[in-house]
Amino acid sequence: MMELKVLGCAMLFPLQIFVCVLRAAVRLLTRQKRRDMGADVVLITGGGRGIGRHLAKEFAKQGAKKVILWGRTEKCLKETCDEISLTGTECYYFVCDVGNREEVYQQAKVLREKVGDVTVLVNNAAVVHGKSLMDSDDDALLKTQHINTLGQFWTTKAFLPRMLELRNGHVVCINSILSLSSIPGAIDYCMSKASSYAFMESLTLGLLDCPGVGCTTILPFHTDTEMFQGMRLRFPKLFPPLNPEMVAQRTVDAVRTDTAFVVLPWTMHFLVILKSLLPQSALEEIHKFSGSYTCMKTFKGRT
Amino acid sequence: MNIVAELFVVTFKIMWSLVLAGAKWFVRPREKSVGGQVCVVTGAGSGLGRLFALEFARRRATLVLWDINKEGNEETADMVREIYRKLSPSEESSGIAQELPLFQPKVYAYVCDVSKRESVYSTAEKVRRDVGNIDMLINNAGVVSGHHLLECPDELIERTMMVNCHAHFWTTKAFLPAMLELNHGHIVTVASSLGLFTTAGVEDYCASKFGAIGFHESLSHELKAADKDGIKMTLVCPFLVDTDMFKGCKIRKEMAPFFPPLKPEYCVQQAMRAILTDQPMICTPRVMYMVTFMKTVLPFDATVCMYRFIGADKCMYPFLAQRKESTNNNESKTGI
Repeated sequence: MMELKVLGCAMLFPLQIFVCVLRAAVRLLTRQKRRDMGADVVLITGGGRGIGRHLAKEFAKQGAKKVILWGRTEKCLKETCDEISLTGTECYYFVCDVGNREEVYQQAKVLREKVGDVTVLVNNAAVVHGKSLMDSDDDALLKTQHINTLGQFWTTKAFLPRMLELRNGHVVCINSILSLSSIPGAIDYCMSKASSYAFMESLTLGLLDCPGVGCTTILPFHTDTEMFQGMRLRFPKLFPPLNPEMVAQRTVDAVRTDTAFVVLPWTMHFLVILKSLLPQSALEEIHKFSGSYTCMKTFKGRT
Repeated sequence: MNIVAELFVVTFKIMWSLVLAGAKWFVRPREKSVGGQVCVVTGAGSGLGRLFALEFARRRATLVLWDINKEGNEETADMVREIYRKLSPSEESSGIAQELPLFQPKVYAYVCDVSKRESVYSTAEKVRRDVGNIDMLINNAGVVSGHHLLECPDELIERTMMVNCHAHFWTTKAFLPAMLELNHGHIVTVASSLGLFTTAGVEDYCASKFGAIGFHESLSHELKAADKDGIKMTLVCPFLVDTDMFKGCKIRKEMAPFFPPLKPEYCVQQAMRAILTDQPMICTPRVMYMVTFMKTVLPFDATVCMYRFIGADKCMYPFLAQRKESTNNNESKTGI
C-alpha cells in the first residue's frame, strides 16, 4: 500500500512540475490580481538615494499610505522625503545605520510608536567596496557584510514577528545578479549579496505556509546609480545598464503580484543556467569575453 | 581583434573545455602529490576537518591543524602522528627512498578562533615562523546555530556568519600573499549543498554557506583575471554528512533511500580526489548537480514543488526541534 502511494507520487511529480511551469507562463501573459497598497506602511532602508529613492517615489505613486525612509545621510533622506510629501503621501525619515544592530532595534521601536506597524519592509541598503581581496581593507570588508547581509537579518527580525501576527506583510530584498554569478574585484559585494540571497530564499520557503506574508527578491543587473559608477562592461549596447526607475517599477509590481524572485533583465537567466551547466574553464572564457574581468577596473563608486 | 573572430575563438574554447570535461569521465586524471607540502586545515578538531587531516597525512603532507577546541585538535594531531609512524618504516626499507633526502612530515597544532581576525593573523604569523610558507589552505571550520531565525539569539547569528563566512577573509588574506608571490598554492573551501540551494528554518546557515561560495567564486575569478594559474581553487559541497552537526535532519521518508546521509569518510575521499586533480568543484552525491541545475531552470513555484516532493523544504525542522529540546535540557553547547 505504501509503495503504491509512493509510486503514485512519483508518477504525479513530472505532471506537477509541468503544471507549475505552465502556470508561471500563464502568469507572465495575463494580468493578475494586484495587492492594494492603500493601507500599507512601507519602510525602505537606504531610501535616500539610488534605487531606494526611486522605490520610495514608486510606492507613493502606487498609493502606499505611508512611506518611511531609513538611511545614514540625513541630507539625502530629507530631500527624498520632501519630494514625496509634495505628492501628498505621508512620508517620514529616520537616520539609522542598518549595520548597527542596536540602532536598528531602537529605531524600529521608535518607528512603531510614532508611525505604526510596518507592512512592507524593503531591504535596499547596500554598500560596495569594489576592490580585490588583497587590496581590500579589513574593516571595509566587514562593513559591507554588516550593511548588506547582517543589516537585513536585524531589520527582518525587528519587523517580521508583527507581520506574522497581523497576517499581513511583505519582505522585499533588492539584491543583485552578482549574488548568483560573481565577478572579480567586488569580492565583498558578491559575498554579501550571495548571503542575502540565501537568506531570502530560505525565508521565502519558510513563509510559504504563512498566509498574508510574502517575500520578493529582486536581482537586477548593473543599474545606473552612483553606487556602481565607473563600472564598464564590454558590450553596453547588448547589456545596457538598467534604469533605476524601471527597477523600482518592477519591484513594486512584483510586491503587488506577490512574485518571489525577479531577475532583471530576464536575459540574465541564461547566465545563471549556463553557470550551473558549464565547466569552470568554459565559464571563465565567457567572463573574459564579456569583459566582466575588467569591468571593475574603472570602478570609482561611492563606498 | 575582430569581434566575430573573437566570438568564434571563444565558442571554440568553450567547446574544447566541454570535450576536456567529458574526457575526464573516461581517462581519470592523475592525482598530484602533496608529499612534503604544508597543509593548513581549519576546524581540524572534529568532523570533516579531522578526516581531511588524516587523508593528507596518509599522503605525507606536513599538517598544520587549527581548531578552537584544544583537546579535539590534539587528538587529531595524535592520530596524524600515528599515521606518520606507520608510514615511515616502509620508506626506510625501500631502497629508492633512501637515496632521496629522507623527509619526515610533521604535524603542528594551534588553537585558533577563526572568527576573530587578530587570532587568525597572529596564529598565521606563528605558522610562518614555525613552519614557513604553506601550500594548501583548507577552509573547513563551520558552525550551525540551529534555531529559527526569529528565535535565534543575535550573537549566534553573528557567530555563524563570522565562522562560516568572514573567517574566509582572514585566513585567505593571511596566506594568499605568499602564494601569489610564488604563483603556487591551493585553496579549498568546504561549503555545503546548502550553499547551492536552501531550506527553510536555517536562514543564517544558508546565508553563511552561500556567502562562502560567493567568496570562493569571486576569488577564483580574481586569480584567473590576474593570470595566477598556479593557485588552484576547489569548492567542496557535500550533501548532509552523517556527523553530529545536523543530527535529526530528515528528508521525506520515502525519498530517504535516494538521498542517504553521506558517510563522512566517503565524502572526504571524493573531495580528496577532486582536490588532488585540481577539479574546481565537487558536489557529493552527484545527484546534487541535477537538483542545482533544475533549480536554475524551473520557475520558483516548480522548484518549491520539487523540494516538497523530496521533502527538502522542511528537512531541518526535526533538527531544529531536537536542538531546542536539548538546549532546554542544557545538553548541547550552543554555537559550537
